[in-house]
Amino acid sequence: MAGAAFFLLGLFLLFFGHNPLRAFMEILQGSLGSSYGRSEVLVRAIPLMLCAAATAIPARVGLLNVGGEGQLHFGALAATWGALTFSALPGHLLIPLLVVLGILGGALAGLVPALLRTGFGANETITTLLLNYVITLIVEYMVRGPWKDPTAFNWPYTPEFTGAARLSFYGTTRVHAGLWFALIGLLLFYFVLERTRIGYEIRVMRDNPEAARRAGIPIVRYILLTMCVGGAFAGLAGMAEVSAIQGRLRPGISAGFGYTGFLVSWLALHHPAGIVLMALLFGVISVGGDMIQISLNLPYATVNILMALIFFIVLGSGFLRKPSLESL
Amino acid sequence: MKNWSLAVTARMILAGAVLGALLPAIPCRADAQVKENFKVGFIYVGPKDDFGYNYEHDQGRIYLEKNLAGIEVITAENIPETAEVERVMEQMIQKGAKLIFATSYGYLDSAINVGRRHPDIVLVHAGGFKFSPNVGTYWRYIYNPMYLSGLAAGKVTKTNILGFVAAHPIPQTLQNINALTYGARSVNPKVTMRVIYTGEWCNPAKAAEAANTLAELGADVLSQHQDCPRPVVETAAKRGIYTVGYHSGDLQRFNEKGWITGADWKWGTLYVQITKDVMEGHKEKWVNRHDRGGLETGQIDIAPFGSAAPKETQTAVLKKKKEIIDGKYVVFQGPMQDNKGVVRIKEGEKPSFEFIETMNWYTEGVVGDVPK
Amino acid sequence: MIEIALALIQGVLAAGVRAGTPILYAMLGEIVSERAGVVNLGTDGAMLMGACFGFITMAHTQDPFLSLLAAALAGAGISLIHAFMVVTLRANQIASGLALTFLSLGITSFIGRPYVKRAIDGIAQWSVPVLSKIPFLGPILFRHDILVYGAYLCALLIWFFLFYTRGGLVLRAVGENSSVAFAMGIRVRRVQYLAVAFGGICAGLAGAYLSLAYTRTWVEGMTNGRGIIAVALVIFSAWHPFWGAIGAILFGTTFAFQLQLQARGMTLSPYFLDMLPYLFTLFALLMGAKMRRHEMPEGIKKVFEEVG
Repeated sequence: MAGAAFFLLGLFLLFFGHNPLRAFMEILQGSLGSSYGRSEVLVRAIPLMLCAAATAIPARVGLLNVGGEGQLHFGALAATWGALTFSALPGHLLIPLLVVLGILGGALAGLVPALLRTGFGANETITTLLLNYVITLIVEYMVRGPWKDPTAFNWPYTPEFTGAARLSFYGTTRVHAGLWFALIGLLLFYFVLERTRIGYEIRVMRDNPEAARRAGIPIVRYILLTMCVGGAFAGLAGMAEVSAIQGRLRPGISAGFGYTGFLVSWLALHHPAGIVLMALLFGVISVGGDMIQISLNLPYATVNILMALIFFIVLGSGFLRKPSLESL
Repeated sequence: MKNWSLAVTARMILAGAVLGALLPAIPCRADAQVKENFKVGFIYVGPKDDFGYNYEHDQGRIYLEKNLAGIEVITAENIPETAEVERVMEQMIQKGAKLIFATSYGYLDSAINVGRRHPDIVLVHAGGFKFSPNVGTYWRYIYNPMYLSGLAAGKVTKTNILGFVAAHPIPQTLQNINALTYGARSVNPKVTMRVIYTGEWCNPAKAAEAANTLAELGADVLSQHQDCPRPVVETAAKRGIYTVGYHSGDLQRFNEKGWITGADWKWGTLYVQITKDVMEGHKEKWVNRHDRGGLETGQIDIAPFGSAAPKETQTAVLKKKKEIIDGKYVVFQGPMQDNKGVVRIKEGEKPSFEFIETMNWYTEGVVGDVPK
Repeated sequence: MIEIALALIQGVLAAGVRAGTPILYAMLGEIVSERAGVVNLGTDGAMLMGACFGFITMAHTQDPFLSLLAAALAGAGISLIHAFMVVTLRANQIASGLALTFLSLGITSFIGRPYVKRAIDGIAQWSVPVLSKIPFLGPILFRHDILVYGAYLCALLIWFFLFYTRGGLVLRAVGENSSVAFAMGIRVRRVQYLAVAFGGICAGLAGAYLSLAYTRTWVEGMTNGRGIIAVALVIFSAWHPFWGAIGAILFGTTFAFQLQLQARGMTLSPYFLDMLPYLFTLFALLMGAKMRRHEMPEGIKKVFEEVG
């Protein structure tokens, strides 16, 4: 199926006079052909896994959370506040604090659309999308106003975080502890989903809503819960990005991780194991995408086309259709 | 269902890993040819066709390729100012680049980080305020041609209201606003300047709306500091008012009737100089320091005059330009007050590097306050 | 004092009409589509396609009519993919719409790249002869690009179509209860395809307005989420063109408000005020969802509210 997407993209590229085979080879070589590239694939995959979980968990009750971007930034905001306010704390206290803040920030950002949904019936896809814009603007405001680095000549970023606030890298790569957050988080997700009563009820909600209602499964509570937990995952991604990769808060910490994470989750059919693999795949495509820009002068947008095509094909192939009598 | 997706993806990743590991072994025809060439990398934050900031750096790159033999250039555009750019730099170095031009302000930290990992590579950064043993910065004081443009604008305006569409209140923008206003008022004391910040380097709809707003308020000369200046120029053309260009004189074609002049980058000769020096082993001229300069370097200039600038104005402007080049006049020399009456430079004082690079006030004639 | 306030209000409203036009076009298309039972979150993507292809055509031909046609066709074309996914393949409407937006973003960034530097003449401005001289209201309503007038004309036409023609009745029937409509002999699928295509045409025109008239430039991603805002405001508008127009103008004013304030020397943080359009849309959405629910076409109720 994904092969079909590659094929279509290849046709598209050919049409415009580019050599698709070279493009694909460059993508692979740029990402997997060197140890730096491979480590960068992991670096990329970490926020993708977390943001995919942000979509996958609410999706398990039928909610479409496209707000990964905003929830990521809100988690980053919370973590930044912690890093700047408590900069005197030593690392073994500060880092866990930042993790907690990131989780709380993201959860809050996920709670709001959930409340709007349960309270007003407002569709969460639209509200999360709108909130994405609002939250990124909040970040812009904070880094140019209250949190601006006084030594940075009015350019938009916060002061650099102290060493204690930084998640360290492994070796000479940029891979960081966020990897464990993601993997452990996904493992927990799997465990809760498959082995606990909560997971069972959630699965009933999806497969047989009437039965769920009759059995008294608290739908409203699960809407709120899944959105909060999902948001928390994305918030963690935000915390990891500012703490490990960036070392400060600035506009543009996310290269669309929220949206790509959304795609990753769908293609993984919202399953934790699939998310890990798909995130790696998308990591390969993203890192390789930079390479084709450099070597072949193709715009980075080429990989967007690929990702969207994959998405369409998976959608259309019916794996994600819900068979139901009412949907006409 | 789930298993299918897992299986396929797992297979694909495996295949990819195998291929990726084998690929370096396949000899590439292209590589053999260019082994002798000196590789140079250029990284832009936006599209190179925006007729603005990135466009001019790219024009410099084109000039470099035309005028220096034995080099090969790789470019990457639309690279955001985040840690992503580190990866792009690393990839360029992987492809053999020995000199990298990091043209956007937000690339500075990444350049320094990458520089630390590769001490034999030279990175030069546009406009930064930090350097390191193998990273240097370069900039030209483009507020000088803006001042000169102000002289022309002050003569040409009929409503005595100038409009400026800015992006962010950073020192470089304020230098431009102040220079433009000061220049205009020196020939026409009735001029006032109104500023709108769009908050983004490139959002065409917002920039166009801002330009419309200024025009409706009576501004008949519009200028801007945007990465993509076209919408503002186009709006000026649409409304039949004047334009002072910024970044590129090539913007003239978008408002032929209203074009006065503008500020223009001419990076080409600088890029040739830098590349040549690094190639020939004289990189110490460009790293570990800030390279600055003004009109005398020839790397900034006023844009060609348009039909809106009358002959006497052109002569007056050129005369002043010569004075600046000869050092007889310095823009932002004392006495100068800000628009609240506070004296910023005293009589006889000349502006320092610090003073200019930390500018955060408006000169007399600008309406409003600098946003926090 | 009063004069300054009046001037500010006038400026803001005029800007509101101007800035609200692309939203209005997109909204009108989406109203038709949703009235037939299909939600198209790919509206933003269709707008981008329209902006891009309209600009490309203009760059090559300098012919406004051809460019608008190209924009409309591009928007319709990409929306037909959505129609296929949703009407024929019964895929999830929201997911398909989002995929469409991603795809359009990628395609237009790729294709539009060489055109970022091209110059075009743009579409002319035209002040309506007598009406634009009306004090206060004149400049607000009647001194704009012709595409602006087109939007309000469209709103009128669509209102008429939906509520006073047989075709509109058929469309609404399909959206309210497609099984009954089918039983009555209406070709439900065809109606839905047409409705979605029309939505695409309108979105394409919305995008064309952005690139051909408003800014006269092309930059990738230039819609900045306007398509999503349009879909959200459709709920606020109770699927009715009149309220749609109001919503669009209100949105336009929030967008232009902070720029107007800045120009008059009132300095507030531009980033803060930038949130206004989105907050307004959220607020409108909430109001709409709560108060207009009874007006929502049955067919899309489950698209928006399906849980579990």
